[in-house]
Amino acid sequence: MPILNRKQRVSDEIPTASMADIAFLLLVFFLTTTVFNEEKGLPIVLPEQSEEQDVSAKNLIFFIVRPDGSVVVKRGESEQEQVVQYRQVEIILRQELAQNSNLIAAVKTDPNAAYRHMVNVLDEVKKAGAERISLQILEE
Amino acid sequence: MSSKKGFKRKSGASSDIPSSSMADIAFLLLIFFMVSTVFRKEKKRNIEWTTAESTEKIDEKRKNILHIWVEPDGTVYINDQIVPYDNIADIVRPIYAENRELVVAIRGDRDVPYNQINTITEQLQASGAVRVTFATRVEQRVQRARR
Repeated sequence: MPILNRKQRVSDEIPTASMADIAFLLLVFFLTTTVFNEEKGLPIVLPEQSEEQDVSAKNLIFFIVRPDGSVVVKRGESEQEQVVQYRQVEIILRQELAQNSNLIAAVKTDPNAAYRHMVNVLDEVKKAGAERISLQILEE
Repeated sequence: MSSKKGFKRKSGASSDIPSSSMADIAFLLLIFFMVSTVFRKEKKRNIEWTTAESTEKIDEKRKNILHIWVEPDGTVYINDQIVPYDNIADIVRPIYAENRELVVAIRGDRDVPYNQINTITEQLQASGAVRVTFATRVEQRVQRARR
């Protein structure tokens, strides 16, 4: 074949066949790197620093979290104490709330108790539907 | 199509899967993921989550959430930096001043003593950022009969 006759065979179309492949490649990249907003937790609003309220003792119920995870229930007025497992807190608080809807659930945690014990009790308190929650630390 | 009556009429449907719109579909998905992707800003910390049944989803924009990590040994990290306990309020105060809708998520290890968490909440109170969540994971417990 004479060299002069050789034609250039470059296509004048943009190859679109691989477009889908490119798009899927990018797609897979973004699929795997996506982290959807996964913010979960127990929301609570802390009191303002200056905000100190006087609460009458009859509107208080204390849940004292001990380092071993057991909970001491103490009604505001009485000196009587009751030691329970944290799973019972919900039932107790439900009963108390039914009698007095103004009740404040005060979760008092021992400084040495693990965080998870406090979260467990807070969870129970939330499940019982308490609106007014107070977080405190147990002072010696 | 054949010219004969009745029988030989062929179906006009093509047997190929139409692939010309494939790229469009892919690009549509691609754009969705590009727009919704938020790259992780912080390093992953090695903590064991606490679990709670009443875990709620916090419906707040990512930029309104500040994470405070508490590692098992009690070290506190804010934005990948170790923060001494006494300085938490000083760190959070300017962030809160800039963004009044700030929610502080405390991501503490389950075995951290409560003393540490209490110090953090006290510091947060001092800084004014009073909307706090205790970050937890959903706990799957055997369903109990609810009254």
